[in-house]
Amino acid sequence: MDFFALILQLILDASASWIRMFIALGISIVISIAVGIYAAVSPRAERVILPVVDILQTVPILAFFPFALYIFVVFLPGFIGINAAVIFLIVTSMVWNIIFGVYESIKTLPKEFLELSDLYQFDRMERLKSIYIPAALPRIVEQSILSWSIGLFYLVTSEIFSIGISQDQVRWGIGVAFATLVYQGASQYVTAIVVFICFVVATRFLFFRPLEKYSVRYMRQQARVPQPAQGYERTVIGWVSRNISRAPSVLTSNRILKGRKHVSHLPTPKTRHDLRMLYYAGLAAIMLLLIYVFATNRMLLELESVVFPAIIASFVRIWFAFAVMLAIAIPLSVYLIFMSRQSSKYMIVFQIAASIPATILLPAIAVTLKSGELVAFAVFLLSGIWYVIFSVMASTRTLPQSVFEVKKIFGVKGRSAWSNIYIKAIVPGLITGAVTGIAAEWNASIVAEYFTNASGNLVSSVGTGLGKVLDLSLVTCKSGASCWTAQYGLPALSGSQGLMLMGVALLNLVVMIILINTLVWKRMYRKVSKIYMG
Amino acid sequence: MNMITLEKVSFLFENTKLEIMDSISFVARKGEFVCIVGPSGCGKSTLLRIIAGLIPPSSGRVLFANHEITEPNRKISFVFQDFALLPWLTNVENVKIGLSRSDISDEAKDKKASELLDRFGLSGFEDYYPNALSGGMKQRVGIARSVASDPQVLLMDEPFSSLDELTATSLRSDIVYMLENKNISVNSVIMVTHNVEEAVELADKVIVLSDKPSHVKKIINISGERPRDKRSGQFAAYMDEIYAALAKDIEQ
Ligand SMILES: Nc1ncnc2c1ncn2[C@@H]1O[C@H](COP(=O)(O)OP(=O)(O)OP(=O)(O)O)[C@@H](O)[C@H]1O
Ligand SMILES: [Mg+2]
Repeated sequence: MDFFALILQLILDASASWIRMFIALGISIVISIAVGIYAAVSPRAERVILPVVDILQTVPILAFFPFALYIFVVFLPGFIGINAAVIFLIVTSMVWNIIFGVYESIKTLPKEFLELSDLYQFDRMERLKSIYIPAALPRIVEQSILSWSIGLFYLVTSEIFSIGISQDQVRWGIGVAFATLVYQGASQYVTAIVVFICFVVATRFLFFRPLEKYSVRYMRQQARVPQPAQGYERTVIGWVSRNISRAPSVLTSNRILKGRKHVSHLPTPKTRHDLRMLYYAGLAAIMLLLIYVFATNRMLLELESVVFPAIIASFVRIWFAFAVMLAIAIPLSVYLIFMSRQSSKYMIVFQIAASIPATILLPAIAVTLKSGELVAFAVFLLSGIWYVIFSVMASTRTLPQSVFEVKKIFGVKGRSAWSNIYIKAIVPGLITGAVTGIAAEWNASIVAEYFTNASGNLVSSVGTGLGKVLDLSLVTCKSGASCWTAQYGLPALSGSQGLMLMGVALLNLVVMIILINTLVWKRMYRKVSKIYMG
Repeated sequence: MNMITLEKVSFLFENTKLEIMDSISFVARKGEFVCIVGPSGCGKSTLLRIIAGLIPPSSGRVLFANHEITEPNRKISFVFQDFALLPWLTNVENVKIGLSRSDISDEAKDKKASELLDRFGLSGFEDYYPNALSGGMKQRVGIARSVASDPQVLLMDEPFSSLDELTATSLRSDIVYMLENKNISVNSVIMVTHNVEEAVELADKVIVLSDKPSHVKKIINISGERPRDKRSGQFAAYMDEIYAALAKDIEQ
């Protein structure tokens, strides 16, 4: 193909994708402002919104894509349905952390500002325009940058995914280009990646940079003055509290309880403990109910016997890839942060690397690696690792100077430095990275475990896995196909049974995520925040 | 005997080309308590970090006994304004950090660290994390850490400025006790402060710095046994002298 025609086509593809992204970002920001402000000003709304957003943010929503696609395409046929589904999906990936950003900036607004607006009797619009939105803007922009990279992952993955189901395919899109070009030769594919990266970098510098500058214009002086090794910004406690407040959503319910000045209506430690017990009890009750329902329904039990081994298989795969990530990310980040002391230089590199979705490599990986397990492993590893490195780097970027000085003054070296300083300093970042990285892996599972090419032929597949089950059940829902016989030795399922299977699979996923959040991450976070923040 | 000698120490930050200090010279002798005062931002903290060997001076040199300081040294220790305790280590582990350069066994370090905490009135808090402690207790841990390696010189950067007055008073007397007690290794203290009264109360010698690029404006020797009577005329006279030296700068 003529090179210029290829470039032109790629630019058009990328532009189509970027239009979806910008629409999604716009929708996300509007929703976030409304929901975030509402949660921040109304204690009652706060009590409902925070926990809900908290759970939604940690559920790997991409796994719902097959389901969303099914619904959207049923109700909005053709071009509109598929694009609405993709945009909807991107919104669900972008919106949560922007909501938290808005919520937190309003929550931490000095009381005086609100008193001021009472004093001058601002009406609701004035209040929004002159206080809330400017106050939230820096965080909105900051979070949008993060959301954008998460959104790109969803965009590419969902575009690639849509290809498998030929009649609902997204026509224009960079993800589509990747999946098609991989068969036309390495140079075309690499060109597509280059065009994509150019778009990513251009967006960062031409769109977000100016926005960033604008949003913090009144903080500029403060932020730019080189801080001597003292003052709140540089103290250990200051670092920890800012760092923890960057910790992800799972942790929010706790984060909000900690260190916020004027949130007096929040429960005291004692009632907090009671609340937690209540939460555990509620969780246990729901589990028991589910087990009962499943145990007494033969159909459900049969589906569960397919889904359960699948989720276990995916779980093992995902956590194995996570262990490998840690083995790479920990030494690398320690080297960059403590030994070369150049981490700030690499920060932007990692930011961009983190925003290039690993799934753009998926077609190439699937074509070259052949083995389904290897493909899945490679995609999982690449999907998660940047999040881990990135959040470790971000969390230690503001490590107070005095930590380095303590190390030098007292000559802490070797093993002692590793165990007393390096590893422990990166713990909060690691937790954040683990939560986001593992969520990215689950998200990738719908394409990593079962990948079909543009003509609908299977390219690579694992033995069993949750992503695969979700993919297959979508195919079943669509056409009642008998893929189940081929892949799992089950009798052919009807369309509605396929939908039911999808439901069971998603239920399993949500239950697992909630259990892991409660039993692993929340506990860890509680422990860390107690030690690090008092 | 001179413990610390500064010879024409000048400093500018390479990145901003900001000239911070210009040819600063003074000595801290054995047994001496030296206080450094000066306008905010004149480079006191930077100067202390140069003495500690954390950052090299742009020109001039700093001597410990008669050796040039080029890197941090176990005989010179540092007390930080923000305590700089590592929040993820227990108190006893934080104190053990101060023994990093010692060749003794790990058990011996544990034992010594506990003894130090005990000496600073913190027995029972060994296995707590710093965040469970009040500011005064944190700074006690910070001081215990800094004297763990038996340093001869103690550098302190506004060590009491974030503590309440009562706590600060008791910690001041701890420092003076360590300086005056022959059995304790510390035999010279250099402290940065912005509290003139504190300087007159503690110091044998007060170095008054000018605004940046800072130079030594005046060195005031203070006589009299500690504890000193703050209501005496002599005390007030010293304070006036320091204020006058500082004020001239502001008027210019
Ligand atoms: N890393 C740096 N790069 C450039 N300039 C710096 C850096 N650190 C400090 N400065 C500047 O050097 C000057 C001296 O800082 P320093 O902290 O030593 O002053 P100080 O006398 O201790 O001030 P304070 O009374 O506020 O404690 C300040 O003007 C500060 O802005
Ligand atoms: Mg200072």
